[in-house]
Amino acid sequence: MSSVERQQARAGAGSKILAASVVALLGLTATGAHADELSDLRQRLDAQERQIQELQQRLGQREAAGSTASSAQLESQQQQIKVLERKLELNDEAAKAAAASNPVVKAGPKGFSLQSPDGANVVKLRGTLHYDGRYFLDDNAPDSADTWLLRRVRPTLEGTLNDIFDFRFTPDFAGGKTIILDAYGAIRFRPWAQLTAGKFKVPVGLERLVSGNDMKFIERGLPTVLLPNRDLGVALGGDIAGGAVNYSVGVYNGVSDGSSSDSQGDVELDSDRDWAARVFFQPFLNSDNFALRGLGFGVAATYVNGTGSVQRPGLPSYRTPDQQSFFRFRGDNAATADLNEATYLDGERLRVTPQAYYYVGSFGALAEYARVSQDLSRQTASGLHHGNVDVSAWQLALSYFLTGEDASFKGFKPNSTFSIGRPGWGAFEIVARYNQLKLDDSLFEGGSLSFVDPLTQPRKVTEYAVGLNWYFNESFKWQINYENAKFDGGGSALGRDRGDGEAILTRLAVGF
Amino acid sequence: MNHKRFAGRIAAFALGLGVALTPIAHAASVTLLNVSYDPTRELYEDYNKEFAKFWKAKTGDTVQIRQSHGGSGKQARTVIDGLPADVVTLALAGDIDALVTNGKLLPVNWQSRLPHNSSPYTSTIVFLVRKGNPKGIKDWGDLIKPGVSVITPNPKTSGGARWNYLAGWAWALKQPGGNEASAKEYTRKLFKNVPVLDTGARGATTTFVQRGIGDVLLAWENEAFLSIKELGPDKVEIVMPSLSILAEPPVAVVDKVALRRGTREVATEYLKHLYSPEAQEIIARNYYRPIDAQVAAKYASQFPKLDLVTIEDFGGWAKTQKEHFADGGVFDQIYAPQ
Repeated sequence: MSSVERQQARAGAGSKILAASVVALLGLTATGAHADELSDLRQRLDAQERQIQELQQRLGQREAAGSTASSAQLESQQQQIKVLERKLELNDEAAKAAAASNPVVKAGPKGFSLQSPDGANVVKLRGTLHYDGRYFLDDNAPDSADTWLLRRVRPTLEGTLNDIFDFRFTPDFAGGKTIILDAYGAIRFRPWAQLTAGKFKVPVGLERLVSGNDMKFIERGLPTVLLPNRDLGVALGGDIAGGAVNYSVGVYNGVSDGSSSDSQGDVELDSDRDWAARVFFQPFLNSDNFALRGLGFGVAATYVNGTGSVQRPGLPSYRTPDQQSFFRFRGDNAATADLNEATYLDGERLRVTPQAYYYVGSFGALAEYARVSQDLSRQTASGLHHGNVDVSAWQLALSYFLTGEDASFKGFKPNSTFSIGRPGWGAFEIVARYNQLKLDDSLFEGGSLSFVDPLTQPRKVTEYAVGLNWYFNESFKWQINYENAKFDGGGSALGRDRGDGEAILTRLAVGF
Repeated sequence: MNHKRFAGRIAAFALGLGVALTPIAHAASVTLLNVSYDPTRELYEDYNKEFAKFWKAKTGDTVQIRQSHGGSGKQARTVIDGLPADVVTLALAGDIDALVTNGKLLPVNWQSRLPHNSSPYTSTIVFLVRKGNPKGIKDWGDLIKPGVSVITPNPKTSGGARWNYLAGWAWALKQPGGNEASAKEYTRKLFKNVPVLDTGARGATTTFVQRGIGDVLLAWENEAFLSIKELGPDKVEIVMPSLSILAEPPVAVVDKVALRRGTREVATEYLKHLYSPEAQEIIARNYYRPIDAQVAAKYASQFPKLDLVTIEDFGGWAKTQKEHFADGGVFDQIYAPQ
């Protein structure tokens, strides 16, 4: 092969490789402001290639004449191609450098976010919308209880500043009113040391800690009505051993059973702060024992030694999961105008809740027990009635994905999504729950001095629920639950039971 | 009263938290960030080892120095935008002045805080041509001939490129009948022969050496020597022009960052130690011209004598920057992208 032929071969092969690389580069970088420049470079490169082809033809013709002038021209053309290649390379580098300094915008099923290139600063917009229907099949609930309602309307702005400073703000517009649901800041000093201050979920109840977007049932079970919801306070918590142990210790204003602090004006409930602590273990979380990886168990407690008053008794009413009130302590007696005879918290209150879950494959189970021991007082014309009483509840909730998804405590991803004209129906899950709440007999003792009216208030409620969840995708789901509650007592006469509660609940849920 | 008890608990809680987090406040070793210009990578890799040993022996402390390199102007902009540089070692004083005027990161008198206007080494601009100098390039006048392809980075982003530009400008002024207009026309023709503008000196070297583009590279002297060392004398050679410019790359502690990070003392010592004989040896071995007389004498044969202009001949960096390199300046007027 002559030197000219070798040059021709090199030029031909080089131009092909060059063309391919330019196409690839254009595909990667032809965006924004670089598009015009790259287009221009491409046109010039095409022109160069045409010239090379012409030159090759001419070289072939002149080879016999031993022309050296064309060789110089070829060298010049190759220089120009190298220049164009280098310009493309520099453009690519500039595009990458620009990308490294540009903020990252994300939009996905889990919300929308704006993030600095280093990830140290993030702002996320998330939201929850729950549109419910309630249909009661029993005679206990008033006709007006059959209704549609907005159960949750919660936009959330949350984020991180300077890598370790987190914040969250969530109002709730449901029910025709506005409350501040979450408003807190947190500093992550270490994975095992996160300090949180503001209004947030008191980390005590296991089912309470499930996000509203990830709830398996439309409403939470009976143990949750005994445990605190959101409160104002400060807590130290975090993960130890890669998340195998999670703990939290905090001090809060205190709330009555099952309540949030907004129900009491976001201020102190009684005369002292509540302490809350929780420790939770997932011993196989990081192991290769996949059958037990989804096992978690722990215990949590709250304690206060406070004094309520007849004006602020610090005592709740209890609702069944279909949100019908079934129990209340004695309130003021209108017949004694100069004496408020309401039952009130007066002394220590200790809540203890052992808890566990287990997720394996498509199956999930959550078990929870809660016991509240509290000192109560009630002043009547006959004297002061003081005593320590217990209320306890437990539940076992099971779930199973019919469509094969992996179950977990913190959400899941459907194997398919529902859309019109395309295959896929989303994910289907069946759920079942059995739960019970029992009130201490001593609550009902003492005749007219008793803390609770023994004629109208039940001593025990046993409830079960079954349901179906249809997840159209990660963000949309439709739920239907059948709820059945049986009561011991509360039938307006001693020995007579309140009638069974029976309801069908539905929900269209949007969560991102 | 329960409030007192509550306050006591909070105090105990805070104390416990403080004790638990105490290690956060006391780093085990000191880390410095040196933000520098493009061709100093090898120099500071060597010098950082020397300083770490020196500092350990002097104080017992461990110091780690991280390096960041790029076009000098671009690096200055990055520091102004928040890169936490404890020290800057840039290509020209004008880029450090920008940290004063645009970022208020150090005092106006920064250049007087260390000897020799805070320049512990100098350099100059030379030509690097292909072996045998096939285009016969001997001086600045040869760079504007038709068919000569010149490689230099972008003066907007590169300190070295600004020295290149000014050296050529100075040569044009000194030609018979030379004046501002002829110098401007010379520079326009010079940049017409530049096919690619890299953002920094190292990128321009890559363009010339690795990519095989161009007939001549306008290079830092140290960068030219380094290229010969890496490629071998059978590939490229240095041409010393009749006139060049004395480049005085300055160094400075970025006080605002160093004070915030508690590193001001070690950062200051890091720069002062550059003037020590040990450091000057390292500087010379990396082909920068040392300012220490004894070390300079030892390496005299390595650095041929040149007729050099200085930045003061242009009225200083503030004036030069504004006239030539600011938006709408002379460079913007004469340069049209190829």
